[in-house]
Amino acid sequence: MEAKQSYTPAPRIQPASRTQLQSALRAAWRFRAFYIMLLPGVIYFIIFRYFPMYGVIIAFKEFSIMDGIAGSAWADPWFKHFQAFYESPYFTQLLSNTLLISLYKLVWGTFPPIIVAVLLNECRVRWLKSIVQTLTYMPHFLSWVIIFGILLTLFSQNGGLVNRWIVEAGGTSIPFLTSTDYFRSILVGSEVWQNLGWGAIIYLAAMAGIDPTLYEAAKVDGASRLRMVWHITLPGIRSIIILLFVLKLGHLLDAGFDQIYILYNIQVYLVADILDTWVYRTGLQQLNFSLASAVGLFKSVIGLILVLGANRIAKKWGEGIW
Amino acid sequence: MKKMNSVLLTVSLLAALLAGCAGGNNNPANTSNAPSDTAAPSNDGPEKTGEASGKQIKLEIIETGNNLPAPDKDIIKQELDKALNIDLNLTVYPSGDDYKNQLNVRMASGNFPDLFMVDRQQLIQFSKQGLLLDLTPYLDKLQQTVDFIGEESVKKGTVDGKVFAVSKSPQIPYQTYWIRKDWLDKLQLPVPATIEELAKTAEAFTTGDPDGNGKPDTFGLTGGKLNAFAPVFGAFGVGMPGNFYEKDGAIVNALYDPAMKDALTFIQQMVATGSVDPELLANSGLQHSEKAIKGQAGIVYLDWPNLTKEQMVEQIKTVNPNAEWLQIAPPSGPAGQNDGTWDIGATPGRYAIPKALEKDPEKLQRVFDLLNYISNPDGGSMLVQFGVKDTHYTLENGVPKMTDKASEVGYSWLYQFTGRPEMEYLQAKFALQSEYIKFASEQPRIESLGGFIDNPEGYNPADADRYIEEEFAKFIYNKRPISEYDAFIGTLESTMNYKALLDSASEQLKALGYGG
Amino acid sequence: MVKGWDDKLFNGVVYTVLGLCGLAAILPILYVVSVSLTPFGEVLRNGGFILIPREITFSAYRTLLTESNIPKAFQITVLITVIGTAVNLVLTGLMAYPLSRRNLPARNFFLLMIVFTLLFSGGLIPTYLVVKSMGLLDSIWAMILPNAVWSFNVLIMKSFFEGLPEELFESARMDGAKEFRILLQIVTPLSIPVLLTVGLFYLVGHWNEFFQAIFYVTDRTLFPLQVVVREILMQSQQPLENAENMLPTQTMQMASVMIASLPVIVVYPFLQKHFTKGMLLGSIKG
Repeated sequence: MEAKQSYTPAPRIQPASRTQLQSALRAAWRFRAFYIMLLPGVIYFIIFRYFPMYGVIIAFKEFSIMDGIAGSAWADPWFKHFQAFYESPYFTQLLSNTLLISLYKLVWGTFPPIIVAVLLNECRVRWLKSIVQTLTYMPHFLSWVIIFGILLTLFSQNGGLVNRWIVEAGGTSIPFLTSTDYFRSILVGSEVWQNLGWGAIIYLAAMAGIDPTLYEAAKVDGASRLRMVWHITLPGIRSIIILLFVLKLGHLLDAGFDQIYILYNIQVYLVADILDTWVYRTGLQQLNFSLASAVGLFKSVIGLILVLGANRIAKKWGEGIW
Repeated sequence: MKKMNSVLLTVSLLAALLAGCAGGNNNPANTSNAPSDTAAPSNDGPEKTGEASGKQIKLEIIETGNNLPAPDKDIIKQELDKALNIDLNLTVYPSGDDYKNQLNVRMASGNFPDLFMVDRQQLIQFSKQGLLLDLTPYLDKLQQTVDFIGEESVKKGTVDGKVFAVSKSPQIPYQTYWIRKDWLDKLQLPVPATIEELAKTAEAFTTGDPDGNGKPDTFGLTGGKLNAFAPVFGAFGVGMPGNFYEKDGAIVNALYDPAMKDALTFIQQMVATGSVDPELLANSGLQHSEKAIKGQAGIVYLDWPNLTKEQMVEQIKTVNPNAEWLQIAPPSGPAGQNDGTWDIGATPGRYAIPKALEKDPEKLQRVFDLLNYISNPDGGSMLVQFGVKDTHYTLENGVPKMTDKASEVGYSWLYQFTGRPEMEYLQAKFALQSEYIKFASEQPRIESLGGFIDNPEGYNPADADRYIEEEFAKFIYNKRPISEYDAFIGTLESTMNYKALLDSASEQLKALGYGG
Repeated sequence: MVKGWDDKLFNGVVYTVLGLCGLAAILPILYVVSVSLTPFGEVLRNGGFILIPREITFSAYRTLLTESNIPKAFQITVLITVIGTAVNLVLTGLMAYPLSRRNLPARNFFLLMIVFTLLFSGGLIPTYLVVKSMGLLDSIWAMILPNAVWSFNVLIMKSFFEGLPEELFESARMDGAKEFRILLQIVTPLSIPVLLTVGLFYLVGHWNEFFQAIFYVTDRTLFPLQVVVREILMQSQQPLENAENMLPTQTMQMASVMIASLPVIVVYPFLQKHFTKGMLLGSIKG
């Protein structure tokens, strides 16, 4: 595996008599302080994250609560629950809805926070910066139930503020929340709105780490601020942008259950029903754990493939996660 | 490993310190094995040592609900504890989903509550997996409870002839059409008595500016999704889409009822006039009642509490002091009058006891004691209905009357595990709404049988329901002509396996003696 | 000067766009605040929309603070947040620092191990069994330990640590400084922005603690804030089953949201100024 590459850089020249293993161990011994640091975290991961992972086999079993995970009978055929999912008349629609909504959110969820962070970083008026930063951070704390209430007040077809304006201006009211034409935009828009300031935080932190002498040098060279943003700020946060993007790719098949579940209605299922909402209606409400687990596993495997692939590409730019 | 243990030890010590009463048990739970093997029910915390009075037993109960106060302010709990020498620990979950998840993990881990709410689906699954205590042999010990809930309710907790749950005594219907009397007066319209008049009134409410503000900002009818039309379906003698009911001695599914197309056509025409809430099918929670109170809609299909309780009346009057809501009988149609359907197989709640409790007869007896006590009109039934006598209610000629302190125990319904005598209870508790309560309960309704039917294997109700709802939306909004109704049924049978449900349902209902 | 012109235009764009963003955020927030302060009947009379309350009442706040479980839940939440965030930061820092050393043997193994958990999880039941077998049920630790380290935050912190100049470590190592001391005395002070950012993520995560609470805790006195708030919010989404159920009005809902989020919102402006403190880095290096 790739891990081997990093065994070698131990700086000392290795006498020929030593085997590879010995030298690896020796190198590791030099890093013992680091391993001790890692220990508590690794123990945590083993106990709380890895130990429960045997639970994924539910996807291949007829899970019975009484018999437990290990004791339940195997599904016959082993892919039975995957098949049930695949054979749903809505399978293709669910998958394409999930991918589309998720891709929109990926694009719209990535760039606006970066832009806001750059603008905040460039803002020379302290109070404005502080106020805007705090204001845009606040929507993150509103749950979807509340945001749904706000959306209704704004976009409801009867009595929504926007539609009142439209009608008063002589137009006809628009069914923003019940029409397949607008619903995805509402989903993406409300999510971008909710996370604009919250998403910018991490980029701001990254910008704080940029060496200020770079800006000073550029200023001496007479570079415009736009140029500095392009040549110093953005490259300075490049690694964090890539990191976040790669990690988000891993969740490409999560299009945002909480949000959609609260906002959708029967008239927009066509464009809004996603894997998770379907699993919820089919699996959890009917106590079908195995089905839910199978879909979860499917999503995870796709996510893993995407992350591995993206990391490989990122590595070419020297920004791989590992 | 040693290090880890000591870390864990420190951690749990700290936990105990911080939490004060942290009662987490430290028995190394036998994780993957059958939960019934873990002999000692693992959920009893540290025994209360304070009271000297022998064996106080801790009972844990979980259910859905809300607004339960903290134990030290929970008068009902304290009274029950005193009466039965128990330490009752009730936990309620406001979201049904959270509750379901909680119950499932606890069942899976053998950490059983002593009494818990189950829905029909859970009742079937858990009982088939041997997790629930078969109450049949104990019924004589539960005589008081059985008398209280009635034989019909006992049946509702039965799976394959065995009683696995205690069902609450049945509810009564709350919903009717409500109409703005002041709007009718302003437009000089009579109270609609037929569905044609209903449609005309709705249209007049939309175009006739009934609120007199000069703006076209009102509409006729709203309600929670298709329920808004429940009495209209009823007027055609049709149940709500998907309902099963008896008609002329045979079992019918509403989708196959020949009158369904007529009902749909009528509704479609009514919607086409623009007199129905355009977001009808998106109304979740209480959005429709809000629209009614706001003065947007003039007719609403709603339960009496949401228009007549003091809090609501106050809101209505703040919005418009002249607003007057009138409760009306279902408008008549080709098949007479029916205020929608009423599921006679449904129950407001079922409670089950884990099989593991079998091994702890003393505790089991206390659970029975509790159920019997709250079912005893001379015992705790009054307590969980109305609170403490002479504090929260007084008895006048045997009729309970609420005092002004009654609101202190507004949550007491959370302890009504066996239900309550619905009509008497509501009459006492909601004296001001007494007329509305009677009116709603007396309206004729189609008796639907859905509560008796369990879904067969190979039928995915989630997909079928979605398909039915989606296509109905299309029919109603004229996005699909009703002439294609038969094609819709065809797809439902071929793609959604609806036939499986139909066959299984009629079999199950016949076994119960329905459909001749 | 041409440059001045440029600068003005640039500033103009910056201020305009930021102003618009601020406006987009403030209007809905104002709505939430206003509704929380207005009697609900009054809200309905205005068609459900109010930006500036004409008639102010604190009754919703008073009810929540005196009659609900909120005050107790507030204490629990503060406790979880303080202890939890401290535990999180220590563990995360201890993991992120070694992993930021590119020459650490088996580094990729550990990194993959972390990334993997971002994608795969065993699910509810097995995790519950672990928590139960450790005896954590019904204690505040059940709301802290199962999420003691977020993979995401380790990766973020590691990525920041990687940005620290190599020379720093080399000179320290020549001093014979032990790794723990390097982490504590050199890396930490230079990483204030990321520590605050990750700390904020953890803090907000604990503040919004809900999921673990409803699974691992049944003792009502240990419920954190969001469980209580969600109880108030969820009721409006549920069909009415009981006549006696008093549905919380929108006024009450908004007030509960305000009470629950105000403390974390107030924290933020105090953290903001420290995001620029990372500037120290340049001076040390120079």
